[in-house]
Amino acid sequence: MADLHGYAGKVLRIDLTEKKTRVSRLERDLAVGFLGGRGFNSRRLYDEVGPGVDPLGPHNKLMFATGPLVGTMFPTASRFNVSARSPLTGILGDSNAGGHFAPELKFAGYDQVILEGRSERPIYIYINDGEVEFRDATHLTGRDVYETDEMIRSDLADRRVRTAVVGPAAEKGVMYAGIYVNLMRAAGRTGMGTVMASKGVKALAVRGSGSIEVADPVEFERLVEEIEAEIYDHEQYWFRRQMGTTRILMMANLLGFLPTRHYTSGVFECAREVSGERLAEEYNVKGRGCFACNVSCSRFYVVRQGEFAGLFGEGPEYEALGSFTSRVGNGDLGVALKANDMCNRLGLDAITTGECISWAMELYEKGLLKKREADGLDLSWGNGEAILTLIEKIARREGFGDILADGSRAAARKLGRGLDLTMQVKGLDIIMADPRGLKGYGLGFAVASRGGDHLRSEPFIELMDDPQRGLEMLGVPEATLRLAYRGKGKLVSYFEDWCAVIDALEPCKNIMENMEILTFDMAAKVIGAVTGLRMSASEARRVGERIVNIERAFDAREGITRRDDTLPRRFREETLPEGPSRGIVFEQEPMLDEYYTERGWDLDTGIPTRRVLEGLDLGYVADELARLRRLPA
Amino acid sequence: MVCSFRHERKFSPKLSRIMVIKEDKHGLDYPVLCHQCDPCPSVAACPQSALTRTELGIIHVDKEACTGCGACVDTCTFNAVGLNGSSKPIICDLCGGEPACVEKCPTAALTFEEGGTVDRPEEVFRELLRRWGIRG
Repeated sequence: MADLHGYAGKVLRIDLTEKKTRVSRLERDLAVGFLGGRGFNSRRLYDEVGPGVDPLGPHNKLMFATGPLVGTMFPTASRFNVSARSPLTGILGDSNAGGHFAPELKFAGYDQVILEGRSERPIYIYINDGEVEFRDATHLTGRDVYETDEMIRSDLADRRVRTAVVGPAAEKGVMYAGIYVNLMRAAGRTGMGTVMASKGVKALAVRGSGSIEVADPVEFERLVEEIEAEIYDHEQYWFRRQMGTTRILMMANLLGFLPTRHYTSGVFECAREVSGERLAEEYNVKGRGCFACNVSCSRFYVVRQGEFAGLFGEGPEYEALGSFTSRVGNGDLGVALKANDMCNRLGLDAITTGECISWAMELYEKGLLKKREADGLDLSWGNGEAILTLIEKIARREGFGDILADGSRAAARKLGRGLDLTMQVKGLDIIMADPRGLKGYGLGFAVASRGGDHLRSEPFIELMDDPQRGLEMLGVPEATLRLAYRGKGKLVSYFEDWCAVIDALEPCKNIMENMEILTFDMAAKVIGAVTGLRMSASEARRVGERIVNIERAFDAREGITRRDDTLPRRFREETLPEGPSRGIVFEQEPMLDEYYTERGWDLDTGIPTRRVLEGLDLGYVADELARLRRLPA
Repeated sequence: MVCSFRHERKFSPKLSRIMVIKEDKHGLDYPVLCHQCDPCPSVAACPQSALTRTELGIIHVDKEACTGCGACVDTCTFNAVGLNGSSKPIICDLCGGEPACVEKCPTAALTFEEGGTVDRPEEVFRELLRRWGIRG
């Protein structure tokens, strides 16, 4: 690695069974082929966690990786991916978070940390530069995220240690428990916290005193200034500073794709009362940011009046806000803030938690779920008390909460009803955007490598409804119209490759992709200045394509095919009753055809062909898929 | 990060002359750097007289005279002095009058002004919490 800059240069493997650690040099071919972060994890998961491994057994591996930009002053470069086989979905599990944990890991000397095996007794791991300690965590068992963080700080007598913590929900085996950094920043999706707890690990605590150097400091500083100026001059800058992602709620409502009462409507009559605008006007007291961020889109709020007076914290983000308001028919902002706070402390993914509650409410409203089956709770739309009680029950796996704690798909199977009403793809519950009003997002949900969410592609550009953009970017004007179908295969594969590159470099996708800052062209320049790797824009895109393909191969090895690339029945058969997205369904199959064609994947199975894999230097993946009889003929 | 980069050509909190205390639970952030105290206890404590306070208040380090004993680190009442890889003190030099941290600060929380008094972080925190209506 001596010739590559930007990286910390080392990989730390922690054998939890034997309590041994091994440090190795970061492999050059891994850096060149996969860049970092999500790329490192996806490649290594494919190589080291074979098909059928028990997600909660000792043979699963939990990998944390960050990227070459992290630790520098590159705007927003603060993030890490954490990946394993998911206990919620059974396929590739992966989640991403910001804050200050990832740069600390790099200053401690590591680009990637791999947890293997399982500790018999509860421990937390203290990484202090080259020293790795296995510390007893018996006293932390059952403690919430806040308490655990505070107790570790006291224990180590160090206020500046950066922690990544799981809450009691993870310890109870709730299948969608996350990993929390800076208390409130969640790597929430796909149950990575559940995997960490299954390994007997309550937290990682990191201190680093090292440094990161870049290949070309002069060019790097010039690029940083150019990017900073672009961010400051962007039309969305002040909206993002003041509202963060919560600004989306009113826009989604206006365009009629705000999931309301479990996707039975796209318009919520109380949207204004639970909006980011209202939070900004009445609740927020201060902006906060992740490491090296010049947008600082996180907001610190204080509730001053009403039932929840005295509640304070950071956030919420749009997904949590929407999950506990329109999705469950709740117009009381206080309830939503409390629900978000509870998810943070208990360590639950707010999106899947919201879906499980919302799904149960729809069953209840339809008479498919009896009050006595739900522990006597009145699950009418918007019942705040029931929502908060259910969150607690899920986290503790008590009564009806125990059924919901495995995710909506598993809950429906256990109950023996309502499976076609679960709003999930491949077991991962979908986000706060109704795909009937956003065709590209919907296609993204259908094909995403970790199941149904938007962060693998996020083709925000279709929200602009500007055909000129589609023409310029993809040669298809309809590609950037939100209700059109043509060109969406091109759109989603372009954006998937782009997101994969950003997830590998590990700045914030919300800024770098959504604000169109780190284009492939700019990414190639930044990669050159930071690492010294000379790469063209199309070569940068090829890295993204390689990541997408190896992830698809991981899923294919677990049995995933085109059959699984499908949205819930409601979107394909029922229309929305009101608003600008009313009267239309989601027509999936033509878009899938276009997408697989664009990717060069087999149309029948949706699996990458040998030709595509070999073209991405993944011939060995093709060989393995062939051995397993998964490779298309 | 711009601080360590401009001074050392490396990115490292340990080599930065300014660092931020964070208290996530209460949403508090506070920068720690040289307050240019007069008199400066670190200058007084240096057994080699390697530290001097310039007319502008900047603490100058004579790197040849310094033995890296760390007395300045122990005596700074704001914990604003660190040691670099070769055990020499790291103290804010105001970048010669154009501080990079002020230039980069996205919220204009940092400004460069003459004179003025500096409150201790715990006092600032207490006042903010009172204003926001948070007890504790």
